[in-house]
Amino acid sequence: MMNSKEAELCSSERKTMYSAGSDAFKSDHSDGVKKTSFDHTLMPPCQDACPLHMEIREYVDLIAQGRVMEALQVIRDGNPFPSICAHVCTAPCETACRRGQVDNPVAIRALKRFAVEFGGDRMIQLEAETRHEERTAIVGSGPAGLSAAYYLRRLGYPVTIFEAYSEPGGMLRVGIPKYRLPGEILDTEVQRLIQMGVEIRTNTPVVSLDLLFDMGYKAVFVTVGAHQGLRLGIEGEDSPGVVDGATFLREVNLGFKPSIGERIAVVGGGNVAIDAARAALRLGAREVRILYRRSREEMPADPAEIEQAIEEGVEILFLATPTKIAGKDRQLGLTCIRMELGEPDASGRRRPIPIQDSEFNMGIDTLITAIGQAPQIPSDFRLRIGRGSTIQVDPITLTTNRVGVFAGGDAITGPATVVQALATGRGAASRIDDYLQHRYPLVSKDEKETLAGELLPKTIEMIRKLTRFEPLTVSPEARVKEFELVELVYDWESAINEARRCLRCGMGAEILFQDKCATCLTCLRVCPYHVPYLDDSGTIQIPADQCQACGICVAECPAKAIVLRKPQDRRQIDEELDHVLKSAAQAKSKPFIIGFSCQYGLYGTGALASLWRGAKAGIWIVPVLCVAKIEAEHILQAFEMGAEGVFIAGCGQEQCAREDTAFWALQRMEKAKKVLAQIGLEPQRLQAFNLYADGEDPATALDKFTERIGEFYLASAIKQEVKT
Amino acid sequence: MTVCGAGGEREVSLLHSALKVAQARGGNEAHSFLEYTVKRQCDFEFLDMLEDRVGEVDAILSLGCGIGVQVIAERFPDIPVLPGVNTSFMGASKEWGVWDERCAACGECRLDETGGICPITRCVKGILNGPCAGSKSGKCEVSSDMDCAWVLIYERLERLGQLEKMRRYYPPRNFRTIPRPRRIVSKADIDLGGNDG
Amino acid sequence: MAKSLFEERLNSGKFLVTTEIGPPKGTDISEMVHHIELLKDKVDAINVTDHQSSVMRFPSLGGCLLVREHGGEPVFQMTTRDRNRLALQADLLLAYSRGIRNVLCLTGDSVDVGDHKEAKPVFDLDSVQLLRMIRIMESGKDLAGNDLKGAPEFCIGASVHPATDSIEPQLIKFDKKVEAGAQFFQTQGVYDLDCLRRFMQYASQFNVKILAGIIVLASARMAQYMNDNVPGIVVPQAVIDELAGAEKGKGLQKGIEIAVRLMKMIKDENLCHGVHIMAVGREGIVPDILEAAGLGVSVHV
Repeated sequence: MMNSKEAELCSSERKTMYSAGSDAFKSDHSDGVKKTSFDHTLMPPCQDACPLHMEIREYVDLIAQGRVMEALQVIRDGNPFPSICAHVCTAPCETACRRGQVDNPVAIRALKRFAVEFGGDRMIQLEAETRHEERTAIVGSGPAGLSAAYYLRRLGYPVTIFEAYSEPGGMLRVGIPKYRLPGEILDTEVQRLIQMGVEIRTNTPVVSLDLLFDMGYKAVFVTVGAHQGLRLGIEGEDSPGVVDGATFLREVNLGFKPSIGERIAVVGGGNVAIDAARAALRLGAREVRILYRRSREEMPADPAEIEQAIEEGVEILFLATPTKIAGKDRQLGLTCIRMELGEPDASGRRRPIPIQDSEFNMGIDTLITAIGQAPQIPSDFRLRIGRGSTIQVDPITLTTNRVGVFAGGDAITGPATVVQALATGRGAASRIDDYLQHRYPLVSKDEKETLAGELLPKTIEMIRKLTRFEPLTVSPEARVKEFELVELVYDWESAINEARRCLRCGMGAEILFQDKCATCLTCLRVCPYHVPYLDDSGTIQIPADQCQACGICVAECPAKAIVLRKPQDRRQIDEELDHVLKSAAQAKSKPFIIGFSCQYGLYGTGALASLWRGAKAGIWIVPVLCVAKIEAEHILQAFEMGAEGVFIAGCGQEQCAREDTAFWALQRMEKAKKVLAQIGLEPQRLQAFNLYADGEDPATALDKFTERIGEFYLASAIKQEVKT
Repeated sequence: MTVCGAGGEREVSLLHSALKVAQARGGNEAHSFLEYTVKRQCDFEFLDMLEDRVGEVDAILSLGCGIGVQVIAERFPDIPVLPGVNTSFMGASKEWGVWDERCAACGECRLDETGGICPITRCVKGILNGPCAGSKSGKCEVSSDMDCAWVLIYERLERLGQLEKMRRYYPPRNFRTIPRPRRIVSKADIDLGGNDG
Repeated sequence: MAKSLFEERLNSGKFLVTTEIGPPKGTDISEMVHHIELLKDKVDAINVTDHQSSVMRFPSLGGCLLVREHGGEPVFQMTTRDRNRLALQADLLLAYSRGIRNVLCLTGDSVDVGDHKEAKPVFDLDSVQLLRMIRIMESGKDLAGNDLKGAPEFCIGASVHPATDSIEPQLIKFDKKVEAGAQFFQTQGVYDLDCLRRFMQYASQFNVKILAGIIVLASARMAQYMNDNVPGIVVPQAVIDELAGAEKGKGLQKGIEIAVRLMKMIKDENLCHGVHIMAVGREGIVPDILEAAGLGVSVHV
């Protein structure tokens, strides 16, 4: 699926500075169809870890430039419900994020939320047309079902979702508390689906799949989820006052206010246990304890959630588990035993072993069990069931033992994450499409090579340590009073600064033309991160897994043998200059001053926008993705286009997210000055502005510069007059 | 290895053999030799590969040009470095096995004035207002194998229609471009404090 | 006012006669002094050669001082092969101060043809640059533009090779020398008078005096040797044959005969402004040659 931005870029004429490269590039672009062979970016670990394989690196980069709406477009291209993931995704991308090897992972989920909220996601309307006759039925409106519905509808199929509960959403609705995922967000997404033409029938449990086929559906996708709580298997479990976690949360979310008393114990260590505990607080419980049989390190719940729970006053007892429940009505006596960790079990985690004679008791009003859920598949479905009560499917085609019946989501995996469900739903839609069109399922298209490898200590040493901007949260005291959202969205500055922490894994530099390389060692010597090295055969290698994509070596290589892996990066400045040329031609004017302005950081927030708007007419901005990529040739081109003056505006050495960038930009400016001096152009026609510098306000400095250029222009115009 | 063939793996192993033969015949078994070839000797980074081996020897015989010998000596100051070749000139090769001097690195290139023929390297006397009286039948007084550069320059300029260049007076050379050791600095001195200019 | 006696003679319109003396390789200057005494009144000027053929000898400047001491008019032959611009300027200052006022500016033979083949060739300047440098010094400045405390004045000349087979480049060089200020030219050895005539057709447009170089050969073998080894010497085959045809032991006589014949023809036909006799180690026979050529007139000092 081609990114819309890429599609746009494909079709226009391009001039590139890499003569040999451009020929090769042209042949790759015959008829405007983009072939991925010239895109040498490696799939970053974040994208690889994401079940949806979202283009995380791309949208984080767009956010860093302040191009939030475009970032949202990238997100939407990869995720059917960005606003949902923005709130509740477990973010396997962050776990894989290599920034974590330096300081902390990039806060990708929070950035996604920023893009969703500031990119105008709410305004996006979706449409779909019906291109096929075959009707498809989806059983269950959880994330897997909703995702499958979205993609099937986009493929042109009539889709009906059957939902047993009164509101659609599955675990999104009934499992995740509203302080993590507000109902309105879910409603908006469901509404969009309905606008697309998906039919959703709530309060309609499906009892037999045969019935669906009788009704004329040609394919069925079973995604009933896993809602059945697992039993503890201890004495007294059926007493009143003992409730299963999923059930408890469902009641809370559907608006019922279960009375649970004041003293609550929750058994379990996953997100359901944490959610139940925190929901209990919000219902007014005074004492809420979680009992978990292993230690904190093994607790599977999201660490941020655990932290927030503790802040709110939840007490977590590690290495403890209940053995017996006694009592009646609301007065329950819970007997627990302490545990210690022994040898690892089948899951790889250390097995908890009860410590002899370590029992203790506590009096509680309600016990919530949250040790896991399993799917409940009606036997009338006649589906083959496997371990953990899950539906057995072929892992690639998602087919069950019944023809035309597919399954996915928690129903086949047991409790998993929202994003995994979304991915399954997407996959299922393709598989169902293949099935209905009688096609052999094509599994995967050109798989891009994934970036592997840890950052070396010498690279990490040079990477500037930047603290992760954690999204702000409402104070714990305020939080527990209600079910409003706990986490606040980023403001612009925080979002952009957080996005700048991205290392841009896999889109760095590579020696594209090995035969041009003379092993002059320039790249090795100029790289601030000591990435290029000489291998045993005396050849320079630029390892993709270390390169920080600053672009310095690309611009310094005397043979122009090094390029950036991402095609758009290679041509970026040339395209922008081209654009200035065309616009100037259209306006029938010459650019008076051309300014190369970095798009990242504070520039991305638009703080500089006022500067440019306020600037005098005739100043044309060429946006660049870091000043380190500006070459002396670009500056000369600006003069070729008729500019009388050129400036470079960027972050100073201290503020840039990469090292040495200001130094190199200035080196190139000096080189350009030397060359221009030979033509008789004054060195003051070039200037570098640093927005963060102390002293003069850049706006004033820019005005002064403009004035000076004006004087030069007049002087040379007069000289011309005198000559003629 | 250089374009003129000096110092590559082949020459190194040839020399090694020759030394072994000389040893055997001279009866002097005192020395043993190790061979090693690096891509270039004039950049410190390539010499890192020698670091581990340097402790094994008492001296390094370098088949690199004078630059390489000196860089090795600077990099490994505790080990004597011996030059194995006489670095002679910069030249061009039109056929295999023959190299002609073409450039003396004078620092004041005037090849646009002399039709692309260098009077400094190709004229024995290196004069700028040539030819001298010794030019005979287009050959230099030194040897009938050597062309008189100024006759060549005359013929080339005539062919290009630029003879007026030869009629110009060329003042004495500026030998100040060659105080030794010369240095070229292409990097600019940058002050990173705040706004530039 | 003429800068030197020789210049006076140049401008007088008379047929000029000069000759050269090669200094000894060593401190024994007795023979050189003898030749100076022999020739000083018979010629308009005596050149003292400067390490001719790049063979190390007693210096030209020293020889000129001796010529002066003994009452002759010296022409200081100065090559640029051995001295840089500082040394050249210094020697000129000394020369002027000792009354040596004529300089023949030469680039000089290459070191490789001489007897110290491993010496460093200097060639800081060439002959054209040397001519110009002298004119600059005459204006009261040294070559770097500094003021001189006392400026010299010289009558300057250069060499030219009319018999060369690459005549066009040679003429370009000749032009440059004239433009640089050369007042007189002593040519390389001339045998072919047609060649000289053609050259004079070109050179007579300039206000310079041309003295044809006459080399006294002693044998065919010597002629051949000079042809092959000495820069700037071209002996035509006809002359070599004529020498070869001489009776045994009469080679030198034949050589003198040829020289005299040439000199007479040049004088009679007024082909150029004079002759410069190069006896190549046989300076003693010069008076006889002059006599035989009808040029043996005493000149006043």
